[in-house]
Amino acid sequence: MKEVSVLIVDDSRISYTMLKNILAKTNFKVCDYARNSNEAVEKYQQHKPDLITMDMNLPGQNGIETSRRILEINPQAKILMISAMKDAQLMTQGREVGISSFLQKPVVPYEFIDTLLLLYQNEFNTGDLLIESYIHPLLKIFQNEIMQLYGIESKMSFHENIEKENTITGTAVIIGLTGNPTGRVVLYAADTVMIALAHLMLHIEPDEKLNDEDAREAFAEAGNIIVGNYVSQIDDTLKDKDMRISPPGMIRGHKMKIVNLKMRSFIIVAVTDIGELALSISFAGGKE
Amino acid sequence: MDIKLVNPFIESVATIMPQMGFQKITRGKMGMGQRSLKSLGVTALVGFSNSICGNVAYNMTNMTACHIASTMMMGMPIMQLDEMAESAISELANMLSANVATKLSSKQHPVDISTPSLTVGEDFFVDISEDQYLIIEMNIDGTILEVNIKIA
Repeated sequence: MKEVSVLIVDDSRISYTMLKNILAKTNFKVCDYARNSNEAVEKYQQHKPDLITMDMNLPGQNGIETSRRILEINPQAKILMISAMKDAQLMTQGREVGISSFLQKPVVPYEFIDTLLLLYQNEFNTGDLLIESYIHPLLKIFQNEIMQLYGIESKMSFHENIEKENTITGTAVIIGLTGNPTGRVVLYAADTVMIALAHLMLHIEPDEKLNDEDAREAFAEAGNIIVGNYVSQIDDTLKDKDMRISPPGMIRGHKMKIVNLKMRSFIIVAVTDIGELALSISFAGGKE
Repeated sequence: MDIKLVNPFIESVATIMPQMGFQKITRGKMGMGQRSLKSLGVTALVGFSNSICGNVAYNMTNMTACHIASTMMMGMPIMQLDEMAESAISELANMLSANVATKLSSKQHPVDISTPSLTVGEDFFVDISEDQYLIIEMNIDGTILEVNIKIA
């Protein structure tokens, strides 16, 4: 990855130092530091950084106002709002001016880097609360659970699925999302990957035989755990939401086409040493 | 499975289908399936949660899906399962399940349903239960809509 320039806007020198230190060993390079709104706008124009971290509480005009001024100069500016408070109202205000990423202080290093990376890499970051609120948390939980359940590292990426269908060969666990919002999550993998993962999950030696039904049950349970944790976190973070899940159903076969009509759908891919594992999440009420 | 929970599935097909222009709806065979069902080609899976949890899989052949979609669209000819037909079948699964949810809720079993997951393929299996599930065949103007249910 090429070097990515970051402008840090924060009135606290301590916060600035902490953020700068987190980024010290990464490809993100802090190009400058601004302590108030005017300085931020001035330095933005001077450096044209790839990313901006924006503190909410600044003397004079706050982080939302400052972001608005920067987004007037460049509507594509990528801003990560960092605040001691992370509530629905603040996120709504931020979204209205065009901020899509939010983090709460104290900033956890890996979260900070992940969030900057996602903000930098994806193209549809202009005011998309759906991604910030629903996709990023799922990505993090998916990665954590792969480590917890299987004890393996994974490299994650995600993209919006603009196709009208998702064609799958292998096994897919389908878990319905009910309440608000409704939709579904599908965890899927090739059968060889699913079987290898089941061995890890059940602590069975790789050369030991495992019957297909047990492997599938382990996969369904993994889906249930990942999505269950995800929904708990969403309900906990976004207090006005009341999401629930239905028990896992499963489909398996060759070139099965899951149709994505009137849904907004995202695919998260986890690349592991064993193979690829994917999770698609779709919300009702998306594209026609 | 409690028969009181099953009747709403039969009633919903019997109530909803005539509203969309189907003439003769009768219940066909009923039986139990073990773990996996083979898709007939088009399967819509709907999840249930709240006081009753489970899944229902509406299973049909491509030809039945085209026939149902065509009737739902006032007789418009549908020769293959295109996007419009898929949308119609998805909507049908949603309407049938929502009707079941309403019926169950009125019997003191509040239920939420998920968006239908419509899957199309030539050779695939669907698991809605780790053990047994109920199969109800509904005959709709001579074509079969298989309703597979596992709720508790």
